[in-house]
Amino acid sequence: MTESADLLVVEELRYAYGDRVAVKSASLTCRRGEILGLLGPNGAGKTTLLSCIAGLLPSFGGKLTFDGQPFWPADDAPSRSRLGLVPQELALYGDMTGAENLQFFARMQGVESAQVAGAVQRGLELAGLVDRASDRVSAYSGGMKRRLNLAVGDLHSPELLLLDEPTTGVDPQSRNHLFECLHALRDRGRTIIYTSHYMEEVQRLCDRIVVVNEGVVIGIGTTAELAEQAGKPGANLEEAFLAMTGRSLRDEA
Amino acid sequence: MNTWSTALIIARKDLSLYRRDRTGLLLGLLLPVVLVAVFGSVMKFAFGGEGGMPRVTLWVADEDGSPESQKFVGALRNVSMISVRPRANQDPATAAALRGKVNDGEAHHALLVGEGFGEALSEAKEPPLVLVRDPGRLMEDRLIGIAMMQAMMSAGDGRSMSWMMGSMMRRNGMSEQGVKRLQASMEAVQSVIGMFAGGSDPELRSETAPAASADNFDMTAMFEGMVPVTKEDVAPPDRPKNLGFQLAQSVSGMCVMMLMFGLMACSSMLLVERDQGTLRRLLVSCAPRHALLLGKFLFCFVVGFLQLIVLFAFGELVFSIGAFRDPLTLLALATTWVAAATSFGILISVWAKSTKQAEGLATLLILVMAALGGCWFPVQMVELPWYGEVITRSTLTFWAMEGFQGMFWHQKPLTDPVMLRAMAVQWGFVVIASFAAVRLWRRRFLGT
Ligand SMILES: Nc1ncnc2c1ncn2[C@@H]1O[C@H](COP(=O)(O)OP(=O)(O)OP(=O)(O)O)[C@@H](O)[C@H]1O
Ligand SMILES: [Mg+2]
Repeated sequence: MTESADLLVVEELRYAYGDRVAVKSASLTCRRGEILGLLGPNGAGKTTLLSCIAGLLPSFGGKLTFDGQPFWPADDAPSRSRLGLVPQELALYGDMTGAENLQFFARMQGVESAQVAGAVQRGLELAGLVDRASDRVSAYSGGMKRRLNLAVGDLHSPELLLLDEPTTGVDPQSRNHLFECLHALRDRGRTIIYTSHYMEEVQRLCDRIVVVNEGVVIGIGTTAELAEQAGKPGANLEEAFLAMTGRSLRDEA
Repeated sequence: MNTWSTALIIARKDLSLYRRDRTGLLLGLLLPVVLVAVFGSVMKFAFGGEGGMPRVTLWVADEDGSPESQKFVGALRNVSMISVRPRANQDPATAAALRGKVNDGEAHHALLVGEGFGEALSEAKEPPLVLVRDPGRLMEDRLIGIAMMQAMMSAGDGRSMSWMMGSMMRRNGMSEQGVKRLQASMEAVQSVIGMFAGGSDPELRSETAPAASADNFDMTAMFEGMVPVTKEDVAPPDRPKNLGFQLAQSVSGMCVMMLMFGLMACSSMLLVERDQGTLRRLLVSCAPRHALLLGKFLFCFVVGFLQLIVLFAFGELVFSIGAFRDPLTLLALATTWVAAATSFGILISVWAKSTKQAEGLATLLILVMAALGGCWFPVQMVELPWYGEVITRSTLTFWAMEGFQGMFWHQKPLTDPVMLRAMAVQWGFVVIASFAAVRLWRRRFLGT
């Protein structure tokens, strides 16, 4: 079987929490080896979209294709092992040390016992926490927790890494460290979907950008392509984004 | 800013938060009301006897069938501090059946009115009465002693007082002559009292007798051994001599209840994981999803088992309850109860929307079940109306107590039908609760 260039294809995805429609219609493709930015204001449906892809909200409408095959991670553990999720919240055990967190999640991700120690070490290096490995996570700073949060999601070297606003509450140094990490991961062959509402972040980091607004994908492409779609050729991402989404607050619907 | 006005603003904010916290409201207002209602009604049935004493069940077999013996049994039925079984409208019991009941621990006292009772009474001789009893039930024993005296007096139209007194004195070493003199003087007094009280009007007599005994309870208590009965003690040979019924009851009751609280804290870790986001992470991992629920069950089970063993070890050390006399039975009962309490905790956790809600509902249910199921008070010995029996038996704690009391107090082996039934009910709950928990887990946590 030949490898397709598109790793993940999302077609007409739709999800509602009860009566509240969070994702109305989302279609996008994520190419193998790219960092795809998912840009949208608060409440746009970014987290919901990632949760559907990760199999956490299985009752969505539409279709997912992964590596050319229909994708249904909710019911299929091997499918899930091809994904890594870094949730928006710090999903860590505060009373366990950084190393213990990595070790536990490595086991849960099905990393072979013989390889667990190696995976933990790589995780600590990725998070820049080698010398704080045996401190409890509750004693880490916000930035350190964020970095560990990322490292846990990548423990099993998944093909596709889903990052949900990984830079929340992080200072410029830690953010730079994180970006370097992500570039390093991409260079190792990881495909990454990166969610954020910081434009300069997305512009700097991502190869292509998906703009989501009120549950609808309204644009996809590079910054230049998006500026053109918005009817403002040559504009930067912020101008293109505001032209596409309008200037009012969006999370009040 | 003024201290008072600031304090007022803070208090108003807290009050409005308190009002919004449904679970807190439930616990703060509803819980005391429910507990007072539940405990109050249990106590009402328990202490509905004469003078607020507990009503005690006494099984009676009338093997004589003479008018005198029937009158005596009828008088026993009228003593309000005891409930005589079988009831007047039920089939009479035989002596053998009642001995069996006491042997099995189903009854603690059975009075056998032997053949020749009527004859003996008319000749003012000691009547053939046998009391088959569990000697550990001291409180019941004293009450039954008093009840028998009251019944004997009322059945004998008061004349029995003199021979009962005589018999007691004889048993206590008074000479035959002394006894005769005593009886003569008592009969004289009796006839004087009879003249003033209106003679042998039975209505008046039955009303005055209990009232007098209630007022002078202590005096009556002195006479609790007055009716001469042959005592036939039936106690499991291995039961520790110093183990009282109340002690056995409260040690197992507290262990049963505390385990539920301990396990609730453990199983709500599932909700903590959901709140802190680690559950999402685990659900995305390639671990089988039901393994997460099973893992929580195992964790609770292990913790619960350790808790229970520590509790019983403490009970053994401090109160010598004989907890480890029969390790196999203890193991079976502990495993059963830990499994039942764990499924209860997990079921509440997968149902609840928040940790607070889970803990609120669990506290309410655990305390109510503890009160109704006999952890605080031996409901097993209380005479309840049919719906009371249904309610107590529908609590999980009742069956746990049945098992533990069966082991500690009645010293029943594991294979005893009572023990097997108690365990079967609990395992039935485990199966049903686990099934419901898995369904809720799918719906609430997996979104399917
Ligand atoms: N569990 C939920 N129950 C009900 N509605 C929800 C739930 N989670 C999200 N929503 C709603 O769905 C919509 C999309 O939310 P979502 O969290 O996906 O947005 P987002 O783009 O990730 O926002 P943010 O940038 O603030 O994280 C919002 O209107 C939100 O209120
Ligand atoms: Mg979000």
